[in-house]
Amino acid sequence: MAPPAQSPAGSPTPDVAAYLDMTPERRAAAKAHVAVLSNTAGRVALELPLSADVDDFRRVLVAEAKQP
Amino acid sequence: MTKLAELSARSLAKAIRDKKVSSVEATQTAIAELKACHELTNCIITLEADEALAAAKAADSAVAAGTAKGALAGVPLAHKDMFDRRGKVSSWGARIRSEQPAAEDATAIARFKAAGALQIAALHLTEFAFGPTGHNYVLGHARNPWDPTRITGGSSAGTGCAVAYGAIAAGMGSDTGGSLRLPAAACGIASIKPTWGRVSRAGAMPLAAALDTIGVLARHVEDLALTLGFLAGPDGRDPAASSLPVPDYVAHLGDPVKGLRVGVDEAVVRDAHPDVQRMLEEVLAILGKLGLQRSSCRFPDWQTLDQLVQLVQMPDAAAAHDAHMRTRAQDFGPQVRARLEVGHFIPAVDHMTALRARGTYLQRTLDDTFKGLDIAILPILADPLPTIAELDVAGGPQLQAAMGRVVKYTRPVNYLGLPTLALPVPRHGGLPNGVQLIGRPYAEAQLFAIGQAYQREVPPDIARPIA
Repeated sequence: MAPPAQSPAGSPTPDVAAYLDMTPERRAAAKAHVAVLSNTAGRVALELPLSADVDDFRRVLVAEAKQP
Repeated sequence: MTKLAELSARSLAKAIRDKKVSSVEATQTAIAELKACHELTNCIITLEADEALAAAKAADSAVAAGTAKGALAGVPLAHKDMFDRRGKVSSWGARIRSEQPAAEDATAIARFKAAGALQIAALHLTEFAFGPTGHNYVLGHARNPWDPTRITGGSSAGTGCAVAYGAIAAGMGSDTGGSLRLPAAACGIASIKPTWGRVSRAGAMPLAAALDTIGVLARHVEDLALTLGFLAGPDGRDPAASSLPVPDYVAHLGDPVKGLRVGVDEAVVRDAHPDVQRMLEEVLAILGKLGLQRSSCRFPDWQTLDQLVQLVQMPDAAAAHDAHMRTRAQDFGPQVRARLEVGHFIPAVDHMTALRARGTYLQRTLDDTFKGLDIAILPILADPLPTIAELDVAGGPQLQAAMGRVVKYTRPVNYLGLPTLALPVPRHGGLPNGVQLIGRPYAEAQLFAIGQAYQREVPPDIARPIA
């Protein structure tokens, strides 16, 4: 297993999800997949107004149902 | 195969009410058919024959006394083994399971019981309902009743097999990324994934709560309408369960469909295998014969939707299983373990962005994609039915690509929360496949009316291995 990364102060910084027993290959594959998803999240975040809310989804569903 | 196997649940209920067949006879037949189906497909997790036959005797007594209650009184059914049932431990398709029997029934199970239905078995699912193919590396893979070398679709695999085989007329499943629609397509039957929140999730095993949707698989669309009619509605045990009025879906089955507009996003469909595109065109021709008008539409960028839904689903699922992933990781099958691991790497900010953007993308879909449309149509599987061996990727390096291809047309719809009716395509003697009709929020009645008209042209099948 690769040695843990070092923080700027020199103390070891645990890898993300270090508590999971994963092979280095699976850990690398997970990170690669998530990097693609994160790129999309970053792009979408730029389009969102500050007021966007997790409850918007349910509000839209219900509002649509009330239309004739 | 018996004539009973060909009946819808609604017709069988009427036959029992009219004393043309007893519940005991129907239940004995269903148990025998289910055992035969299991030999072929590995569809059963727990058979509850004695309990079901005792309930059937009680149902017959009630019919004789004129006290039978419920739209499905005495009808034998079976459901995916992920719902709490009082006094029982559900398997969740996993080695890890609850250590205590459930204290009460899941709301959906309670509503089936109130409708008078019997449960004869708990059926196969992908481990923790987290897999779209029917592979289960802990309990054994499910096999397709049309061709046992091929996938059943998942995660509601056992329900798909048992319904397609004619052992039961209908059964419950769940859909977080395609788990009702994929088995429907792969087994050649219908399913309803209702609007998110239409059916209570209380007592159902959670996979990703923001996406989880309880629904039904059946050969006959009228059974989807009948069952959703009593499943839907508010529930004090699930704050997300909608309190909007529940229409009489059965009464709307005959609503006219002529003139309804169906949209096709050709850019999205183009990524499907040519055979699948041809199947979609054939279904569109049938819908055209019924009077539906075809037009083009454009969904928000499909890949973006697919990535946003993963940002919602993966951390949600990882959180649900966090304790066991830290303490009993070796007890998970390799595929589910690998998929759950990914969720731990997704930054909380990205997860929240995907949740915050969900309303925006739904509104955009309704304003733009559905502008001037009643429904949209898409394939379910992007390819002709794959073999079990072709998709036996376990937790290996091909996992994300292989699973991503299987759920390509289903997973993004969960992000939008829209109701979706799966219908089988004409088989012409070959293997099954399916299409999905996507409606506006809470427009299930309209989907059922279209599905009912469609089944006059493409009647339900009973699955047997193709020579």
